[in-house]
Amino acid sequence: MKKTIYSLVLPILIIFVWAILTTFTGYIPEYILPSPNEVFQSFFELIYNGILLEATLYTLTQVFFGLIVSAAVAIPLGILMGWSAKVEGLLKLIVGILRPIPPIAWIPFAILWLGIGLTSSIFIIFLGSVFPILINTIDGVKRIDPVLTEVAYTLGATEFQTIRKVVMPAALPSIITGLKIGVGIGLMCTVAAEMIGSNNGLGYIIVKYETFLTNEVNNQYS
Amino acid sequence: MITLKNVFKTFDHNGKTLEILNDINLKVIDGEFLCILGPSGCGKTTLLRMMAGLDMPTSGEIIEGDKVVRKPTRSRGFVFQQYSLFPWLNVVDNVSFGLELRGIDREERYRKSREYLKMVGLLPFQHSYPQELSGGMKQRVAIARCLVNKPNILLMDEPFSALDVQTREKLQVELVKIWENEKKTIVFVTHSVDEAVFLADRIVVLSKSPGLIIENVPIKLKRVRDRNSYEFLDVKKDIIQLLND
Repeated sequence: MKKTIYSLVLPILIIFVWAILTTFTGYIPEYILPSPNEVFQSFFELIYNGILLEATLYTLTQVFFGLIVSAAVAIPLGILMGWSAKVEGLLKLIVGILRPIPPIAWIPFAILWLGIGLTSSIFIIFLGSVFPILINTIDGVKRIDPVLTEVAYTLGATEFQTIRKVVMPAALPSIITGLKIGVGIGLMCTVAAEMIGSNNGLGYIIVKYETFLTNEVNNQYS
Repeated sequence: MITLKNVFKTFDHNGKTLEILNDINLKVIDGEFLCILGPSGCGKTTLLRMMAGLDMPTSGEIIEGDKVVRKPTRSRGFVFQQYSLFPWLNVVDNVSFGLELRGIDREERYRKSREYLKMVGLLPFQHSYPQELSGGMKQRVAIARCLVNKPNILLMDEPFSALDVQTREKLQVELVKIWENEKKTIVFVTHSVDEAVFLADRIVVLSKSPGLIIENVPIKLKRVRDRNSYEFLDVKKDIIQLLND
C-alpha cells in the first residue's frame, strides 16, 4: 500500500506541472500541448464511442497472429540451430543478413506483395518479432548444462526424445524471454505499419487525428 | 560383463597430444563392486565415461556382453559427479524419466518409482523439486532414477565427492545395502582410498597421467566394514603405499 502511494507521487506531480503550464498559465499554447483535462476528456470520449477499443482490439489481434507465426517458425528453427552446428552453419549467414534490416523497411515490399491489410501487417510483425525469439531460443539451447542431455542418453533416450524432453523444457525460460521481447517489438511494428498502410488499428487512428489537428492548426493561421 | 581391451585415450590440447589412458585391460565381473581409484587427473572419469559410451576410446575396444560399446544405452546406468536432476521435474517425475521414455503409463511408472524412492528413503519428498533438496538427497534421487531403469551395470562417477563427510559415509552404507539387495554390478570411480576400501570387492588402482593400471587389489574384508578396525586401516595403508610409489 505504502509502495503504491509512493509510486504515484511522480505521475501526479507531472500532471500538476502539466496543468500549470497549460490550463492555469497558458505558458504553452493548446495546439502544441493540449491541457490534461482536454486529453482526459478526449480519452473518455474515444472509449465511450468505442473507437479506441475497436482500434486496440484490431491492433492486438494482428500482433497475436503475427506472434503465432513468428513463434511457429522461430522456436523449432532456434532449437535446431542451437542443437546442431550443421543447421546453424547452414542458416547463420542468412539470419545475419536479414536480422539488422528494420522491419519497417519491409513495408513497401509488404504492400507490394501482400497489399494493404491484415496479411501485410502480420508479415511486418513476423519480421520484427521472429529474430528476438530465434536468437533467444538458440542461446537457451546452447546454455543447457551438458550433463542433463547426457543423463537422458544414459537413461536410454533417443536424440529426438532428448530434444523434446530435455532441451525444450531446459530452454523454455530463454524462449519465454524471446517471446516477451517479440511482443514488444511486434506491437511497435504494428502501430508503425498501421500509420503507413492500414485503414484500422491504433496506428491508423493516430494518423487520422493527426490530420484533423493539422487542419485545425492550418485554419488558425490561414 | 564389461571387457576393456587395450584401451588408449588421447586428447588434443593446443596442438599437443595428451595421453590420458594408456593400454587399459580390464574385466568387470557380473555382480562385483569394483572401485577405480586414482589421483585427480589420472583419467578415471574418462575411463568410466567410455564404459558408458559417453566418450570413445582413441584405440582399443570396450565390450558389454557380446556387443561393442558405441553409444550410451539404458543397460549401463550412470550416476554423475555433479547434481544432474532435471530442475523442472519433481522428484517422482525425475525418477520416472527413463520409464516414461519407454512409454510406460503413469500409474505403473509412479508405482515403480515410489518403490525405489522408498529404498533410498525419500518417499516423503516425492513431490518436492530438486532445488528444495540437499546435495545428499539429490544424489539419492539420481541413484533411484538410475536403478528404476533396471540397468545391468551401474557406473558411478565420484557421486558422493561434493557431500560432507557424515552424509558421504551414510550414503556409502546405503549404497552397499542397495548393491546387496539388487545384486547389481557397480563400477565406482573415486579418489578417496577410504571410500574405495569401504565399498569395493576389488580396487583397480590407476597411476597419475598417463593413467595405467598399477594394481588389482581384491578386498576381502567382511561387510559391513568397520573403518576403525586394524584390518581396514592395514588395507588402506597398503593402497596409499601403492599410490605413492
